[in-house]
Amino acid sequence: MNTVYGSQELCTNVIGKQLCIGCGACIDLCPYFRSYKGKTSMLFPCTLQEGRCFSYCPKIEVDLDKLSQRLFGHLYDGNPLGHYISVSMSRAGESVGSGQFQAGGTVSAIMEYVLSRGYCDAVVVTDREKLLPIPRFVTQPEEIRTCSSSKYTAAPTLSAFHGAMKEGFKQIGIVGTPCQVLATAQIRSNPMDEKDFHDPTGLVVGLFCTWALDYRAFESYISTRIDKDGIEKIDIPPPPSEIMEIYMTGGDKVSIPLNEIRKLVPESCSYCIDMTSEFSDISVGVMEGRPEMNSLIVRTERGRRIIEEAQRDGYLIISDMPQENLEHLIWAAGNKKERALLKSTQENIVNTTQEDRLSYLRINRETLNQYSV
Amino acid sequence: MNASSLERDPYNIIITGVGGQGNVMASRILGSMLVGKGYYVTIGETFGPSQRGGSVMSHLRISRKSTWSPQIPAHRADLIASLEPAEAVRVMAQYGNPDVYILCNSRPIYPVTVTRGDEEYPSVADIKASLRSLASHTIFIDATEEAQKLGNTIFANIILLGAMYGTHLLPLEREDFVEAISQRFRKDQIEINLTAFDRGCELLHC
Amino acid sequence: MSYLNDKQEGSVHLLMGNEAIVRGALEAGMRVAAGYPGTPSSEIIEAFSKVARERNIYAEWSTNEKVAVEVSSAASFAGLRTMCVMKQNGVNVASDFLLHLASSGTRGGMVLVACDDPGALSSVNEGESRIFARLVEIPLLEPGDLQEAKDITKRAFELSEELRNLVMVRSVTRMSHASGNVTYGTLPDTTTQADFKCNGPMFDPDNGPVISMVVGAAELQHGPQQEKLRKAARLFEDCSFNTYTGPKSPELLIITSSACNLYSREAVKLLEAEDRVGILKLATTWPLPPNLIRNNLSRTDKILIVEEVLPVLEEQVKILAAEMTPEIGAKRFFGKNAGNIPSVGELNPDIVIDAISSILDIPYKTISKTFSDAVNALAQRAAPNRGLTFCPGCPHRASYWSIHNALELDGRKGFVCGDIGCYVFGTLPSGFSIVKTLHSMGSGTGIASGFAKLKQFGMDQPVISVCGDSTFFHAAMPALTNAVHHKSPLTMVILDNRGTAMTGFQPHPGSPNNVLGEEMPALDIEAICRAMGALVEVQDPFDTEATEKAFHRLIEHGEGAKVLILRQACALSPERRNKKNFEVKIDEEICLGESCGCNRLCTRIFGCPGIVWDKEKGISKIDELICVGCGFCADICPAGAIKKKEVA
Repeated sequence: MNTVYGSQELCTNVIGKQLCIGCGACIDLCPYFRSYKGKTSMLFPCTLQEGRCFSYCPKIEVDLDKLSQRLFGHLYDGNPLGHYISVSMSRAGESVGSGQFQAGGTVSAIMEYVLSRGYCDAVVVTDREKLLPIPRFVTQPEEIRTCSSSKYTAAPTLSAFHGAMKEGFKQIGIVGTPCQVLATAQIRSNPMDEKDFHDPTGLVVGLFCTWALDYRAFESYISTRIDKDGIEKIDIPPPPSEIMEIYMTGGDKVSIPLNEIRKLVPESCSYCIDMTSEFSDISVGVMEGRPEMNSLIVRTERGRRIIEEAQRDGYLIISDMPQENLEHLIWAAGNKKERALLKSTQENIVNTTQEDRLSYLRINRETLNQYSV
Repeated sequence: MNASSLERDPYNIIITGVGGQGNVMASRILGSMLVGKGYYVTIGETFGPSQRGGSVMSHLRISRKSTWSPQIPAHRADLIASLEPAEAVRVMAQYGNPDVYILCNSRPIYPVTVTRGDEEYPSVADIKASLRSLASHTIFIDATEEAQKLGNTIFANIILLGAMYGTHLLPLEREDFVEAISQRFRKDQIEINLTAFDRGCELLHC
Repeated sequence: MSYLNDKQEGSVHLLMGNEAIVRGALEAGMRVAAGYPGTPSSEIIEAFSKVARERNIYAEWSTNEKVAVEVSSAASFAGLRTMCVMKQNGVNVASDFLLHLASSGTRGGMVLVACDDPGALSSVNEGESRIFARLVEIPLLEPGDLQEAKDITKRAFELSEELRNLVMVRSVTRMSHASGNVTYGTLPDTTTQADFKCNGPMFDPDNGPVISMVVGAAELQHGPQQEKLRKAARLFEDCSFNTYTGPKSPELLIITSSACNLYSREAVKLLEAEDRVGILKLATTWPLPPNLIRNNLSRTDKILIVEEVLPVLEEQVKILAAEMTPEIGAKRFFGKNAGNIPSVGELNPDIVIDAISSILDIPYKTISKTFSDAVNALAQRAAPNRGLTFCPGCPHRASYWSIHNALELDGRKGFVCGDIGCYVFGTLPSGFSIVKTLHSMGSGTGIASGFAKLKQFGMDQPVISVCGDSTFFHAAMPALTNAVHHKSPLTMVILDNRGTAMTGFQPHPGSPNNVLGEEMPALDIEAICRAMGALVEVQDPFDTEATEKAFHRLIEHGEGAKVLILRQACALSPERRNKKNFEVKIDEEICLGESCGCNRLCTRIFGCPGIVWDKEKGISKIDELICVGCGFCADICPAGAIKKKEVA
């Protein structure tokens, strides 16, 4: 049974221990936590013993059984891909207007669909200004297109989710990375035991993610090589490609080897056990070897229903995922989980029992045994 | 004692309050009234950062013989006239004695630490009762309320002056006040200040 | 202030010490006065400005104290009587010129009024200006009461002309800001002509050029300068302001000066020791007249010296006593060195009572222990501290708010080097504790210039300095020049609140008027900084978003010195006082109070005195009597509960 604490504990145990990924779950709930260029800071001390900031954070006292039970109806079982109904391949269909997509354009298609059909009254996305990710919420389908390029740096996307809630939206869609999706799951679990609580989400779409980049480190690194204000788009093509491609205004393309880029990954990512956003309704990623397609994982009934209708209405084209790809996906996801669980247990931040030691994760023994941890 | 004698020489008065209450003006007016009657007056004041909502004290010595220290020695006040209850306590602790006469405005001015919620302002009832038990005479007047009736809380300092006159402890006549303010204020301000002075005196039943 | 102009000789007025000094100068026919605002001296120039027209006086708030002394000295060179006025720190600033001026000598009577602040009641250091008189070798006079503040000042002009050198008159807070009876003398006529005679031979004191020293001519010039001092000492032997009160042969002799004279007199009276203790009150404390000292030291063997702040008088008396030992015998000294008088802080009658009563073993009691315990217990529970904070509506609070937040968000451990003015509160929680160094005028930017060059030693944090508009002209400009030229990448924040606010809102070179109320060209701080070559931005500190953004831009800029001017008038300035920009109210229904999402940001952290926490209701409220309607709190309320409505 985990307890909710406050901002001081959040600072000490997450920010102070390099666990913070800057997902935005604690940002803009109050004046005390704010984000600037990817870094989360506490501006002034808050004296409250319990707060939403702590309870929403995906890096402290995350009870995987509690979340899994609530969203999927069973305890956490350690499945590398998480709980799912189906895994397929997909891309945007003809009903989606033309525009700049990343890979297969599946995420943009889904979010345009839910806005136009009213499944969501607002959608939280991550926009970009030059290199800097900017969380936003949009209400019109055509606005989705403007935010559809991939961002590889960690962004406080959930701050826009809080913004949408403040504005009174009640069926909010969100596109997020695994950590952001996990935080969304925390929010949906009503951790502060509020009376008259209603799930504010309309649809949670998660992205695949092996690691993200620290914005400041990335900006600093890139600035020494190119004019960062001239960047149009960034892409990391799916494996076996090992480069980051940067498209400049004027048409130039700069390629940077991924092993250079990996040095800019924050410490926090190495603790993350989730490659496919396990707590979403739908998860979307790249397809190995197929740069024009997406991997599509459907997890929940509401996710399944929306995908079915989107497909019916020409927003998505879905086909079977080849077995080879599926196996490799499972292998990659399992690897990430194993590495992270090992590191976390070694550092004694899993299932802690001492009074003065808070846990990052609470996870059942069976799952830990599966990963020989 | 409206006569020309002093209970003690030097007679020591402390006028105190919070920065902005017109403490300094009150002590100057009183001082010039007494100089006009041939007394030696010494006034010591604390300026500077105390203006920004801090405690302000004016020490006023009246003497037939000479100038004295602008700071009254510890526990030697004869009359404490305060525009604020907590300031009366503060002054009493340093300058009070069992023979002192206290005249105090009852309206608190909350320090920033209190308005911000970090500290509690003490109970005014406690202050009243405690000062009564320690001093020889203690009178509380609602100078701020009376000043508001006259249109501006700043008149509280003149009301306090009137009340000080009303104690009959000072060698002064009403005419001395008229003289002092006619030199200090514009013609159109004299009437209202006289009214404030008289009101203060009335509060002491004179 | 027309009472300072009262022509009736013999009339008695209640004057503040500073006013008495002014009256003394008027009675001496002083024509030019220059200074820089500094508590406890500021009222002097202000009083001169109020009678300037009637008395044919030129009064000026100079850019800094050094320039003030220079301006004043010009009047003296042209044969006019003149005064320069400053607090103790100002003497430090002017010291280089003072040293040279004392060497060149003066012509028209020149008086330097130095107002010290024992106890540092309005200063960030507890200094001592009397030592400068010894250092630059000029005579020093200290008035011992309010009447002397006038009379000694008048005499100082005459003395200056007799000696042909400037004379220092030293006051302290408890003299400058105390009031007492002053009997007036006559006012002379106001016609005087300035005439700078400089074409005579080199060392002609009346007609030659005015030169500190011809290089290598120490004997030719330093010698005569020292002779002037010896002459002063001879004159001081008969000075009527040096008085002795008490028995011919007291048990204890007190030697004292300045306000300590009043404390000592009171102490002796309260101890009823008038027949045991004598008081030698010295007005001429440098150079000490040796015969006078000898005669008084001869009265007794026990000497107590009572002075503020440093044992200047004590040490000089001991030197003389040592030299005179063959004649007068050995003496037992009490004072600061022996620990009878505290070595820091201002004095008062009780401190002197303690000293005397322990030396002569005289018991002294005022109140019973019961009474003392009772009042102290009452004060503990019923006299809450009135902490120092910015005024309601102060733009500095808003500036520091934005700077604090931007520095936290920036996350590179940036810090602020502070300076002198109301914004010194940046060292305290009311200023969000962002200021990490604090010294003298202009020093923040100089220190920042140094810090920002330490990157080669591994220190790579954003370095910020703050200073005010007056301070900018006073002292910070050379520091900024240094930073620009040496490519020190500091960010200098100039808090431009349109006046010299801390000391009472006096004008400065950036103001469109002078102390006499005349229109003057206002120097443009922005243009000056740009001309120096700094990268400059200007914002309104009440716009927190724009200020934060500008601040981020500048501290991320990298090379070169940057300047951010935060321009908004002081809440006590003529343009803002008594004028609300907004009516501000808090909607009780929306206010989140202590709950998650706010935790009473406005009262707990922001701390403007105009916002009050209602503990019972658990909400914040605006105190309409205190709020000045700047509207800033409405922009920082996380719930949007604070509403501001523009006042027509």
